[in-house]
Amino acid sequence: MSTAEQNRSVMWNSSTPELTARPPDNIGRIYIPDRLLGWIVPVTVLLVWELLARLGMLPPNWLPAPTVVGKTIYQLAIAGDLLKHAGTTIARVAVGFLLGAGAGTLLGGLTGYLRIARKLFDPLLQALRSVPSIAWVPLFLLWLGIQETSKIALISVGAFFPVYLNLSVAMRHVDPKLLEVGKLYRLSSFQMVRRIILPAALPEYIVGLRSGLGLAWMFVVAAELLGASSGIGYLMVDGEMTGRAAVILASVILFAIFGKATDWMMNAVGRKLLGHRAR
Amino acid sequence: MVNHGFDQRGTVNIEIVHKAFSGSKGTLLALKDILLTINPGEFVCVVGCSGCGKTTLLRILAGLETEYEGAVFLDGKKLLGTGLDRGVVFQEHRLLSWLTVHDNVGFGLAGLPPEQRSRDIRRYISLVGLDQFEYEYPHQLSGGMSQRLAIARALAGSPEVLLLDEPFASLDALTRMRMQQEILRIWEARRTTVVLVTHDIEEAVYLADRVVIMSPQPGTIRSILPVPLPRPRDRTSREFVRLRKSVHDELFAPGGMAHLAPGNL
Repeated sequence: MSTAEQNRSVMWNSSTPELTARPPDNIGRIYIPDRLLGWIVPVTVLLVWELLARLGMLPPNWLPAPTVVGKTIYQLAIAGDLLKHAGTTIARVAVGFLLGAGAGTLLGGLTGYLRIARKLFDPLLQALRSVPSIAWVPLFLLWLGIQETSKIALISVGAFFPVYLNLSVAMRHVDPKLLEVGKLYRLSSFQMVRRIILPAALPEYIVGLRSGLGLAWMFVVAAELLGASSGIGYLMVDGEMTGRAAVILASVILFAIFGKATDWMMNAVGRKLLGHRAR
Repeated sequence: MVNHGFDQRGTVNIEIVHKAFSGSKGTLLALKDILLTINPGEFVCVVGCSGCGKTTLLRILAGLETEYEGAVFLDGKKLLGTGLDRGVVFQEHRLLSWLTVHDNVGFGLAGLPPEQRSRDIRRYISLVGLDQFEYEYPHQLSGGMSQRLAIARALAGSPEVLLLDEPFASLDALTRMRMQQEILRIWEARRTTVVLVTHDIEEAVYLADRVVIMSPQPGTIRSILPVPLPRPRDRTSREFVRLRKSVHDELFAPGGMAHLAPGNL
C-alpha cells in the first residue's frame, strides 16, 4: 500500500465529520496536503547534503553532492553507458524473472491442485527455500561458469519461491464453499481449476509475482557484484575500484528507479487483471 | 427403475433410511427414516432447531451428500449426485467475487448461443429485480441483493426444484420479510417445486404449502402440517397465529425438544 493510500484509509476511518472538516482555528495556518508531507524530510536532507558538500564539509570522494550524482547519471546517459548497462541488467532481470516465475507458476499450480504433487515436491522445495540464496552462488559459478547463465539462474531462484509459495497456498485455500458451487454445476476438474480455483487464487498469485520481481532485482545486484563485465552492478564495482563514489551512488539510484518502475508496472497489470473485485 | 406415479415435472420422493457422519468421537446419526413426497410446484418448508439434520437433508437433495442409506427420486429418477435439474441457494450467497452480476447468473448456463444466453441471463436478472446492477460486482451489492442474485443464479438453469438452505437467515428482519414476499412472487411466476429449510417458524408458515417439522437426535420427521391459508398471508390474522402456535407446540412437544422449551429451561 502506498503512503497516499494509507493516508486515505486513515481519513476514511475517522468517522466524525469534525475531523475531516477543518476546525475554524486552522484558518490562517499553512495547509500542507498529506501527500506533500512525505516529501519534506527527503527534500530537506538533500538540500542540507548539497549545502554541506558545497561548503566543503563533506569529502567529495566519499559523499559527493546530489547535483554531482545527478551529473554523473547524465554523463553516463549521453555517453551511451547508461543504456548499455541498464539494458544488460534489465534483460537479466527479465529473463531470470520469467524463468523463475514460470517455474514457480508451474510447480505452484501443480502442488496447489494435486495433493500427491504436494506430498512429493513441497518438502524438498521448502528445504531448498531455507538455503540463503546467495549460498548458491559458488555452486552456480562452478556449474554454469561466470557468464550469463549463472546470473540468470540465481535471479530465477530468487523469483521462483514467492511465486511458487503464494500460488500453491492460494490454490489450496480456495473456499470449499465455492468449490461446492462448482460441484453443483457439474464442472469438470479442468473447468473447476479454470473457472473457480485460478480466479480465486489470482490476488495472492499477483502478490507472489510482485515479491518475486522484487527479489529478482535484489539478486541481479548480487550476481553483478560477484563478477560481471556490464550491468548496473558492474558500474558499482567499477565505481568502487576507481574510487568514484558518485558512480556508486548513481547506480544505487538507478536500481531504485528501475525496481520501483517495474513494480509499478506489475501492480498496474495486477489491478487490470483483478478488475473491480473487492480485495 | 421405481415408478412413483408422478405425472408432472418436479416430483421429489425422499426415502432416506439412514444417514450418519463418522468422526473422531464415533458416529453421529444425522437422519433416520425420512419418508416424504413433494408434489410438483409445491412449496415445502422444513423447520427444526440446529442439529436436527435439516441442512443435511437439503444437501442430500442437492446431491452434495451421497453417502447415505436409501434413495431420493426426482420425477422417478434416482439422484446420483448434483445436477442442473436442481437449483441451490445457501445461507451465504456464495457468489463469485470476480464475476459481474450478469456473469454470476450465467455461471451454469453453458452450451447456449451467446445471444440467447445473454437474453436468458437478463430475464433472470429482471425476475429478481437487479436490472440496474447487471454489470456491478458482488461486493457492491447489499446482503438482500446478493441473495436475490444467488436465487437468480439458482433459477438460471431452469431447474425443476429450487432448494434453499436458510436463505434469509443472515438478513435483517425487514429485508427478510421483503425477501419472503420476493421468493413467493418468483415461485408464483415460475411454479417450480421449492424446498426451503429454515429455523424461523413464522417464515415457514408464511411461505409453505406444507410445513415439515423435524426433531433431532436422530433427525426425523416429527409431523407434517399443511397451511391452507390463501396468499398473500396476513401474519397477524388469527388463523396465521394459530398455525404458527401449532408448529411451535409441535416443535417443542414432549419427546421432541420439550427439554428445550422456554418453560423448562
